[in-house]
Amino acid sequence: MIALILADIKMMARNRQAIFWALFFPLMLVVIFGLFDFSGVGVADVAVIDQSGGSKAEAFRERLEEIEFLNLEFDEITAEEAREKVLDGDLGYLIIIPESFDNPEDQEQPEDQAQTEVPGPVSLVYSTRIPDRNQLVDGAVRNLVSEIHSGDGPVIPSQLLTADVILVPEVDYFDNVLIGLLALGIMTNSIISIAVRISTFRNQSILKRLLVTPLSIWKFFAAEIAAHVLLAMVQAGIILALGVFVFGGHVNGNIFWVLAITALGSIVFLNIGFILSAWAKSPAAASGMGNAVTLPMMFLAGTFFSTAALPWILPQLSLALPLTPMLGALREVAIDSEPIWETWPYLAALGGWVVATGLAAVKVFKFG
Amino acid sequence: MISSAIMEPAVQVENLVKRFGSFTAVDGVSFAVERGEVFGILGPNGAGKTTTLEIIETLQKPTEGRVSVLGLDVQSNAAKVKARIGVQLQASAYYGYLNLKEILSLLGSFYPSKVSPESLLDQVGLSDKIGSRIAELSGGQQQRFAVAASLVNNPEVVILDEPTTGLDPQARRNLWSLIREVNQRGVTVLLTTHYMDEAEILCNRLAIMDHGQILALDTPRNLINQLEASYTVKLTMENPMTLAQLEALNGGVEVVQSGEQSGEDTGTENTYLLRLANSPTALKAMLDEISKAGLGLENLQVTPVTLEDVFLELTGSELRD
Repeated sequence: MIALILADIKMMARNRQAIFWALFFPLMLVVIFGLFDFSGVGVADVAVIDQSGGSKAEAFRERLEEIEFLNLEFDEITAEEAREKVLDGDLGYLIIIPESFDNPEDQEQPEDQAQTEVPGPVSLVYSTRIPDRNQLVDGAVRNLVSEIHSGDGPVIPSQLLTADVILVPEVDYFDNVLIGLLALGIMTNSIISIAVRISTFRNQSILKRLLVTPLSIWKFFAAEIAAHVLLAMVQAGIILALGVFVFGGHVNGNIFWVLAITALGSIVFLNIGFILSAWAKSPAAASGMGNAVTLPMMFLAGTFFSTAALPWILPQLSLALPLTPMLGALREVAIDSEPIWETWPYLAALGGWVVATGLAAVKVFKFG
Repeated sequence: MISSAIMEPAVQVENLVKRFGSFTAVDGVSFAVERGEVFGILGPNGAGKTTTLEIIETLQKPTEGRVSVLGLDVQSNAAKVKARIGVQLQASAYYGYLNLKEILSLLGSFYPSKVSPESLLDQVGLSDKIGSRIAELSGGQQQRFAVAASLVNNPEVVILDEPTTGLDPQARRNLWSLIREVNQRGVTVLLTTHYMDEAEILCNRLAIMDHGQILALDTPRNLINQLEASYTVKLTMENPMTLAQLEALNGGVEVVQSGEQSGEDTGTENTYLLRLANSPTALKAMLDEISKAGLGLENLQVTPVTLEDVFLELTGSELRD
């Protein structure tokens, strides 16, 4: 018994590639979770349109910038464009500082009361997507406006800020998670399953056996990809059906577009699996390498948490991951009901990944 | 008039060299396999047999030299060569989740012409296993299936790399019968083995290979006849003998093994191996000398020389595993 335990330990220790990835895996998780800021609601993107340009407006803008969870954008953008972005989910909030912010206007009052001068109300535009965050941002901006005007005498906060709430189709956090789970499932299955499968085939000389037949290499790749993409479709169907019919999730957009994006993403991840299988010396190592690729991507691409909670340049780096455009396209189509052609930047990015990973796979792949 | 293509050997290997870094696995090998024959390459592990076969099978590229199969250069006509040969690799598995019929159908689909799985399994005596998976077969059945898989495209040349390694004696003999049947249907067979008996029984011609080179090439009978000796004599003595004493006994040809060298294998330190010429007086002369010298003889075995003796003669050592 002891001899067997020792032999097992010896065998495991000698499979260095597998043990490296086994150790690498938990360490990587610790690092990734450590990077996230789970203490707050993340960062909200806010566009500010200043129609006043006065000193109070300037003070207001400066004070807004001091609020940590607001990421302000002062780019030239029209109110209409910004509203459109809020509707699409590309922008969290729009604040419009009216012309009358610094130059109060006479306000019509009932005849029995004296006329008063009140500043024009700030408009805060947001969608119904993230109710918890909306409450927080609305409260913070409302308090700030009150503070700015508090020196002018008594203020009625409700008159200083009007909330323009854009209703979007019913979306809750689970809908986002459901799409995240779908993308995660496809990515994990595609990368790990193909890497382990091909590594096993190579170790058992099955690939070598195929190589002595006239079968073209491209046909082998195409067959493996086609079979796995088909499997990915079935997998996607099952995940979405379970999410919608059992857990009450919503898929507002066209399901066929969702499946088309799934297929495109699956091809990218299968190519990555082929690349890993070329480097892995055993199926165990292939599995470890697959996890090492999928797990960071899962967190860094915003599968479950907003990448805004990541520090440093990681939010920008997340844009360079193939899962990010897949999630972006899936969410726009499935949650925001966008037609697939509206997601063309994401699809173009995925297409680029298909070509790049495909070329790399053909370059590094080994049958023997 | 017979066309030149028909006259081409099944396999032609010319000055083949294969290097892996500084290691030379195949070192200037040349031979031709004639159509319809069973040609064997006999040698120990590491001799370069498998590398030579893999170059013929288009799996590896030669460093130098030229290889053609059925008149086609394997480098420039890999796909055409693959379509006309059948290959059984030294170690290869098949899809574990497919049954035998499904595997043969799949392999057959890669070729322009194919034989039905039922017919193939019938040829190798596995018809009753048509729905079984590989893991459900015995070692001998798996090897027979591997031969069936190599015949899936009705090939003109079949290349079998150590087809009987690891099999029990009965399974080996079954496979020999199968290889003979395949050959009798006109298929050229090129095989490697490190079993002397297999090479001697199966092969029309044989190349003995070691350290990447062919040491001898002929029919098994001619290879044996090339030896000056015709008999091997194994002496077990009561007391140890010196080399001088052994050489004094030598009414025949040579001392092959003496003292400790022999003792390692037999467990008997006083066992000695000598070869005798094919002469009616040689054995008697040797026994007379033993008697005259007063050396106690415990045991005596006289056997005709075999391929193993040829191998010992050529390489100076026994066949390594």
